Amino acid sequence: MTTTCADSLLALDVGGTFTDVILVDRNSGEFAIAKTPSVPAAPARGFFSGVDRVLADAGAGPADIASVLHGSTIVTNAILENTGARTGLVTTAGFRHVLEIGRAEIPRAANLFSWVKPERPVRARHIFEVPGRIRLDGSEAVPLDEAALDAVADAIGAAGLDTVAVVLLHSYANPHHERRVGARLRERLPDIDISLSVDVLPVFREYERTVATTLNARVQPVVARYVRELATGLQQRAIAAPLLLMKSNGGTCPPAEAARAPVSLALSGPAAGTAGAAWLGRLAGFPDLLTIDMGGTSADVGLVRANEPVRTTAGGIGHHPLSLPMIDIHTIGAGGGSIASITDEGGIRVGPESAGADPGPACYGAGATRPTVTDANLVLGRIPASLLDGEVALDPDAAERAIDEHVARPLDTSAGDAALGIIDLVNASMTGALKVMSVERGLDPIDFALSAFGGAGPVHAAMLMRSLGTGCVLVPRHPGIMCAIGLLATDLRYDFAVTRLQRAGDIDPVLTGEVLDDLADQADRRLTADGIPPERRLCRRAADMRYAHQGVELTVGLADGPVTTATLETLVKDFHALHQRLYTFSDPSAPVEIVTLRLEASGNTGEFSLPEVARAASPRPEPATERRVRLDGRTAVPVPVYRRTALCAGHEISGPAIVEQFDSTAVVLDGQVALTDPYGTLVIRERTSRERAP
Amino acid sequence: MNSGTGPQVDPFTIELIKGTLNGARAEMEALIARTAMSPFIREKKDYFTAFLNPAGELVVSTALTLAGNLVDAVLDEFPAGTMRPGDIYAYNDAYGTGGAVSHLPDMAFVMPVFHQDRLIAFVESWGHLWDIGGMVAGSISPHATSVFQEGIMIPPVRLMRDGVEARDIMRIITRNSRFPDMHVGDIRAIMAACRLGARRLDETIARYGVGQVEQSFEAMLTESETALRNRIAERIPDGTWGFRDRIDSDAVTERSYFVDLELQKQGRSLILDFSRSDRQADGPINFLMDDSVPKFMLGLWMCMDDPGIGMNGGFERAVDAIATRPGTLVAPRSPAPLGLRSHTMIRVTSALFGVLAQATGGRASAAPAVYVLYYLRGRSAGREDTLCIEGLSVGFGARTFADGIDAVYYVAQENYPIEFAEMEFGVEIEAFGIHRDSGGAGRWRGGCGIIRDVRVLADEAELGLRLDNCRHPAFGVNGGRSGQPGRVLVNPGQPDERDIATMSDGTRLRRGDLLRIITPGGGGWGNPAERPADLVLDDVLDGFVSKKAAEDIYGVVFRDDVIDHDETRRRREALPRPDGLYHRGHYYHAEADRLD
Repeated sequence: MTTTCADSLLALDVGGTFTDVILVDRNSGEFAIAKTPSVPAAPARGFFSGVDRVLADAGAGPADIASVLHGSTIVTNAILENTGARTGLVTTAGFRHVLEIGRAEIPRAANLFSWVKPERPVRARHIFEVPGRIRLDGSEAVPLDEAALDAVADAIGAAGLDTVAVVLLHSYANPHHERRVGARLRERLPDIDISLSVDVLPVFREYERTVATTLNARVQPVVARYVRELATGLQQRAIAAPLLLMKSNGGTCPPAEAARAPVSLALSGPAAGTAGAAWLGRLAGFPDLLTIDMGGTSADVGLVRANEPVRTTAGGIGHHPLSLPMIDIHTIGAGGGSIASITDEGGIRVGPESAGADPGPACYGAGATRPTVTDANLVLGRIPASLLDGEVALDPDAAERAIDEHVARPLDTSAGDAALGIIDLVNASMTGALKVMSVERGLDPIDFALSAFGGAGPVHAAMLMRSLGTGCVLVPRHPGIMCAIGLLATDLRYDFAVTRLQRAGDIDPVLTGEVLDDLADQADRRLTADGIPPERRLCRRAADMRYAHQGVELTVGLADGPVTTATLETLVKDFHALHQRLYTFSDPSAPVEIVTLRLEASGNTGEFSLPEVARAASPRPEPATERRVRLDGRTAVPVPVYRRTALCAGHEISGPAIVEQFDSTAVVLDGQVALTDPYGTLVIRERTSRERAP
Repeated sequence: MNSGTGPQVDPFTIELIKGTLNGARAEMEALIARTAMSPFIREKKDYFTAFLNPAGELVVSTALTLAGNLVDAVLDEFPAGTMRPGDIYAYNDAYGTGGAVSHLPDMAFVMPVFHQDRLIAFVESWGHLWDIGGMVAGSISPHATSVFQEGIMIPPVRLMRDGVEARDIMRIITRNSRFPDMHVGDIRAIMAACRLGARRLDETIARYGVGQVEQSFEAMLTESETALRNRIAERIPDGTWGFRDRIDSDAVTERSYFVDLELQKQGRSLILDFSRSDRQADGPINFLMDDSVPKFMLGLWMCMDDPGIGMNGGFERAVDAIATRPGTLVAPRSPAPLGLRSHTMIRVTSALFGVLAQATGGRASAAPAVYVLYYLRGRSAGREDTLCIEGLSVGFGARTFADGIDAVYYVAQENYPIEFAEMEFGVEIEAFGIHRDSGGAGRWRGGCGIIRDVRVLADEAELGLRLDNCRHPAFGVNGGRSGQPGRVLVNPGQPDERDIATMSDGTRLRRGDLLRIITPGGGGWGNPAERPADLVLDDVLDGFVSKKAAEDIYGVVFRDDVIDHDETRRRREALPRPDGLYHRGHYYHAEADRLD
């Protein structure tokens, strides 16, 4: 690939094991990809080995790069593995244990006798109280106790903490005390990073706000160091292009913003995958998608409607609720490494226990003896006996031994039947997860295409389509690098919100307009700082609303332009309609409240496209080979195996068939047909009865 | 294909069908949460879903141990032969159904599922309805002395025939609610969930065949039965053990009550005998206990190591008999009131732990405290009345493998954020924290309760309270100490400071009064002197245990956050040894306590 003057986008998705890199020419759409090992202990080193590799492979230089896009698990890992900085919390006197108490519930699916409360981001010993109280309406009930504040600063200094979060009650209504605490702590403790809740999530509900702010504080130094290292490395390589990091909300931000609000990067990876699926769905003409990204230990399910990933403010990471806007992801412990086992009562379980990447499935030959989903796929012949175009050889005998010993013999069945059962069970788990995203929200899967990616997604997708009843399956041309592709497809995106309770009857267009204008000013300042010209900015306004006395809100869009009594009437009408659509009822006579106002700002950083694949001369491609595969019958049958790279636009494959490529394998079942579209996406459908007829 | 014939179902299919039915239940619950109208269901998520076999045994269900035997009462009135697809039967008549629901706000809906005219299963769901009439809004009052004050009672009725709603019955039910629209909304949501469940079961039968489905039902029951029987055989020797646990009051009188339980194990036979329990209460703490309830509790405790073992009729089969005596707290006679039955339900759990502790050499959980509710009805000149109903968390009992849960309410029910409560309830929350030292000391510490300071902003307000474990704190086990009691104060530290009875209603408060609610902690497990000193230090640093208690009860001495190991060893050697299996204020043995 050859490139001219700064017209290439460089995207790196750094996962736990591998870093996926793509360099694409924005004009021609030509691209180069690379897969390099990640270096969890020194993530910047892993990043740059990916950069160096793809530039070398592509014969490109630093001057060719227009921007660098980056998805990182650095925040995700720091939160999930409970690492990061030693963090303290300053809060309102009387509320030291808000974080510990949380919402006081045992999860619905848990056994109440065995459930253990997960650890909080900050232990109570590092939570410091300052007298002073802001009321619900923003008025000051008790002035801030400056002397006590200085004593707290001393205590924080003595405790040897690296970062501090400040979360005071009702600070969203009046941030004065919180800002004063922040300023004083910065004076007294210049080496400590401070996160204020009013900067991270100025929205009511103190527990959720405290979790977001303390997690932000905890990952701040890690991310700050990381983006410094990235800046240095880019400079050393003379790459002057701006660096943008992927956030959980499906957009990107520059490094300074990432360092300021790092918790917004918590679901960077899955967000990129869903964004990539949305983008490819648009190319393929499928605006509504269910997405499944199946990897080694878990599967992430997402939802795309009208070409946009669906977002939520009720998401979370690990055990922590996280109320920042993020792409809605449902994660389950079902992956290629999920272990199958037999209980004392003779029942079978698959997952959530996982063999992970090390030692991995039995067939990896790294000493593992317990059977996994990947072993079952190998025994059935659904995946080839080697991965990454032969770079990694698999051991089918080890897979069969593991299944035979741990599942088949205890159940008095064959290894093949046991393998089929293991696959059925993991598919059932994934079908359940896809139902959570669809039918449990009142959506019919038939109206959606299932976009399947990650190494293992395409192996299972055709079966998931059949059990779920989606319209079709989309297997992207490069299922293993969807997150990297998603990075290319994203814009800068910021979410601004503030809680301003307005009761029914007291909803004020002037106040609403002022608050929204203030949010818009913040957005303008941010996008100006990012160098985005006004014509490439897009702002969307919304309000979180509820019926009086309800405990949950719905987010309703608000049209551009001045806020008037009429626009607010429309807003309330839209709220009733949305309530009706989501919850099957509404009450137009009931009082409606506005609780929180929101503004979502995006800045378009430029379009790109991928090249089309060559057109097929005839609709029937030639299989590369054939192997015995057991799909749903009692025995293995010869099934044609196609090379993905040989498939051209318009090629049509009738199932049963296997389509193999560098980083994934797709299965097409009997009765299904797989069409390659102009962008190389494999579109798998059930053959209709008419097509079946001779 | 009939059940019992056809090919034997394989373990994979059983697990697949189990997963499918649990997925269908999740879908039913999501539909209820999405379409019900009242806050109890939408936000407190107080509902239950299940599939049952034609004999009325639970096959898969929500793991809530409040009621059971959901179908028999319906079959008594409407024999299976008269049922048709599309029928839905409903009831909330606790006495009339022998405890199929345990208080009136829970209305149950039962839908039969047929395959070619043969009854295959029932789909069932109940939800806690917002208001079904009765003496107060919300239907539950601590002052009720008769079930007739607690709302309308619907015996099993056919609310839907062939998919058509029985409008007359619906009108009667609706007319008796203070919030008829919400009532209809909730009922329709739950009925829609039943129909969804039935449709999912139809699809499952179409996919796997009726024989495989029926055999899988049986296999799931067998799996749970075997799992529980095996664990009973491993952990409970033959013998008989008795235990008695106590409830503070029935809210109507000052009298306290007790649940008495005797566990008899002989070979494969296990009997739980509650017949020596106290007489039924005058106030609404009576628990019309279905036999399945203690069996489900035992099953959930014994089988917690494998989340794949479902709570179902298999647990019931594994326990031979439950004995109760009519007219007692766990088998009250109509019209004894039932509204606050959870106070007794949780004592049934702790009595079960009490006998298990004896039978297993102390390998049972300590007692949990009962969750707390308070009701504050505010009136202000020129403003709308406010109604504050808040559930408050307590401490659960320490376990053999972990501390008790701190500050927890119950399964799936969230508290209100302070910033929400202040928006809604006409109050200001001035403090919300852990009730230090309330968790019973032990090798594993009992969970701590909480303290909530509530400033009254209304001109005047009327206070209702339900706190248990104030006279009889949650007991500790195997050397563990009891939790600390709860307490309620008005204007603490002021000249007009006063205590409020913890099971009461009608207390008058005025603008500016500060209400302090201190909730009880759970019991501890194991000798506090054996708790690792660093865990005790952690608890002190994090505000769960005072320095004084660390030294006096745990025998852990530290200076400047560093443990003094020599002094700690000396202190611990000097601590009194536990001289009873249980602790409530002092160590005691079960037998003496039962003779009180």
